[in-house]
Formats: sequence, structure tokens, C-alpha cells
Amino acid sequence: MMPKKSPKVIVDYSKCGDGGSKVDPRDCGKCLRACDPAILLMHETMDIRQDPYDPQIWRITAVWLNLCTRCMKCVQVCPVGAIAVT
Amino acid sequence: MNAKNYSNELAKEMNIAEYETEQWRAFEQVYIRKIMGISSIDVGYKLQLPIIGRVLRWNAEKMIHSESKNRNAVRADGHFGQVIPLEDAKIILGNLAAEPIIENYCMCRWMQRGVKEACCINFGVLSGVIEKLPRFIPKNNVYRLDRDEAIKRIEQHNRKGYVASVWFQPVPYINAICSCENPECGGLRLRQDFGLNSVYKAEYVAAIDPDKCQGCKSCVSMCQFSALRYIPSQERVMVDLRKCFGCGVCRHACKNDSIQMVPREQFPGLQY
Ligand code: SF4
Ligand code: SF4
Ligand code: SF4
Repeated sequence: MMPKKSPKVIVDYSKCGDGGSKVDPRDCGKCLRACDPAILLMHETMDIRQDPYDPQIWRITAVWLNLCTRCMKCVQVCPVGAIAVT
Repeated sequence: MNAKNYSNELAKEMNIAEYETEQWRAFEQVYIRKIMGISSIDVGYKLQLPIIGRVLRWNAEKMIHSESKNRNAVRADGHFGQVIPLEDAKIILGNLAAEPIIENYCMCRWMQRGVKEACCINFGVLSGVIEKLPRFIPKNNVYRLDRDEAIKRIEQHNRKGYVASVWFQPVPYINAICSCENPECGGLRLRQDFGLNSVYKAEYVAAIDPDKCQGCKSCVSMCQFSALRYIPSQERVMVDLRKCFGCGVCRHACKNDSIQMVPREQFPGLQY
């Protein structure tokens, strides 16, 4: 049997995160708390300009994708419409 | 318990400060970086694939339990833990933990929920490493604990429902006691959802005395692992021993003193 394909959860970093957006996920984090199975992760980026001891550039990545139920709570709760789930 | 695991000499011998600085500086990236060409992103799907799955699992287990000299800190080699009941946590904090002892923000809960909660208790060399990383340091800047304070804190966390766990980082050096939540804890997640032995169950399991249990169900809401069930026909709660991690947290909710911790080895069919 072929394994089941996981949902795709894409975060638009031009709206939230390090792509020149105004939202710093550290100040928001609503999606992290809305997701019951906690499949989203907030982390510092590997940007070489980061201070390795005190990184200031952060983003959200959906990591545990196979556990996503496509409930869409993260999409609904995001104030800047940065998340797409398919 | 093996006192050597906690000593600062061992830390020096193993050059642990360097290893831990590397690992903790980039703590939140552990799951994002590629390990053997494969990142943890959607690891569930990858582990389902029959052949890649087996190799990946084998490699991941070897990596988690690595005792070899050239550990790679950024890959989290040799970083695994074991659940312990409150009594064992107190013994470690009271006698064996290397000083200084600090309490810092839980990184797992920060990554997974964006909340900062001071509940990770770290020892010795690791304390020195974490103190240099501002995002782990509690706002009120109070983080150094003496042994009595540390014992008081772990008891508070445990009563709240958090699971105490002791961590090797790297093996065999023991340097932290966490108060975990499932599935927010990365270690519990890898074990519960992906079957990797990133954290072992405690040396104990819960046993409920059927004569004492009044069926009030208070304990059921405490279990992070859904190991407790109210059985209407018996008017009492039963433990699913295969699910029980032996954390002992359920005991805090029982007004009838019906829950005891018994050795896991009494049940040869159970895993650690
Ligand atoms: S769709 Fe639901 S389960 Fe999937 S990431 Fe969003 S909140 Fe989580
Ligand atoms: S809810 Fe939207 S804006 Fe807020 S952290 Fe998540 S992705 Fe960013
Ligand atoms: S039943 Fe087991 S895993 Fe659940 S709270 Fe009690 S000791 Fe912990």
C-alpha cells in the first residue's frame, strides 16, 4: 500500500517571518496555539546575519505534516492570511 | 543511580561545554536542518515508506544513542531522556545534580506554542551554556536555584501535571530535568508519533488499588498519555499499562491514595 500523502501547509514569509514582512511570529504565534496536534514550529532562520547567541529573525515552518488534520484553524486565526493548507 | 553521570569531571573529560554550546545555540533548528540529507519536515510520511523508513529509523536510533567521539551537536546526537517520577527527580536535584542549577524557559513549548514558561532545570556545564543565550533566560532574571529551591520547583511543575524527565546530553552525561507536556515536548513527540526511542519510559508503571479507587475520575485528566480510563461497569479507573509512561503524575489527583508506582520489570511484556 502506498503511504498516504500528507497535507501541505505553506507559510508566506512575505506576510509573516523573515521575508520583509511586518509580523514577527514571536509577537503573534496564534497559529501555534490554534493547532491541536501542534504541527507548526517557530524557529530562528539560518540567516548568516543572525547573532548566533541572540537571533532576531524568526519564522514558522510546518514540520509534523502527516499529523495535520486540515482543520483550517491556523488559516482562520492568522491575522495576516499568511497560511495556506491544501 | 550512577553519580558519575552528574559530575563536572565527566563533563570536562568529554568536552561537553563545546558540544552543548553548539546544540543550544541553534536549538530550535534541530527539526529543520537536514540529517543525512533528510530533514524532519514531514518525517511521518518518510518513515512510512518501507525501505527508506527502515534505514531512516535505524540511523536515527543510532544517532540518538551515539556514544562515539565525533558527535555532531547540531544533529542532536546522543540526546535522549527518560521519564522519572517526582521522587527520583528530587534525589537527582538534591544530591547528584552538578552546580550551578538553573531554571530556564522551556524551548519545546516556545517552539511549539510560542509561550515562555520557566520549568526546565539544567545542571553544571549546561547551565553555563544556557546563561549566555538571552532567549532562554526568564524575564525577572531569577534563574539560579539552590537545591532546595530546585526541589520545590520540580514538585510544583509535577503537581501541575507536567511529566518529569531526565536528559542525557550527550550520553552518558546527565544534565537536565525537564517538566514535559505531550505532544509539545520534542522527545515525546518523536517517540509517540514516530516510534523513535528518543525518550524511555520510567522504570515504573501506575497500579490502581481496585478496593481504594472510588471512581471519581480525577486522575484521568492528569495523564498526558491517555493511559487512564474510567470503566463504567466496574465503577473505577483502570490503567492501560502499554500506554503508561510511569511518570506518577496521576497520583497528585487521587484523594483516596489508590495509585502506587510499581516496577515496570514486573511486567515482562512492557517496553521501556
Ligand atoms: S489545518 Fe489544522 S491541523 Fe493542519 S496545521 Fe492548520 S491548525 Fe494544524
Ligand atoms: S498566525 Fe499568521 S501572523 Fe501569526 S505567527 Fe502564525 S503565520 Fe505568523
Ligand atoms: S497512568 Fe502512567 S503515564 Fe498516566 S499519569 Fe499515571 S503514571 Fe503517568
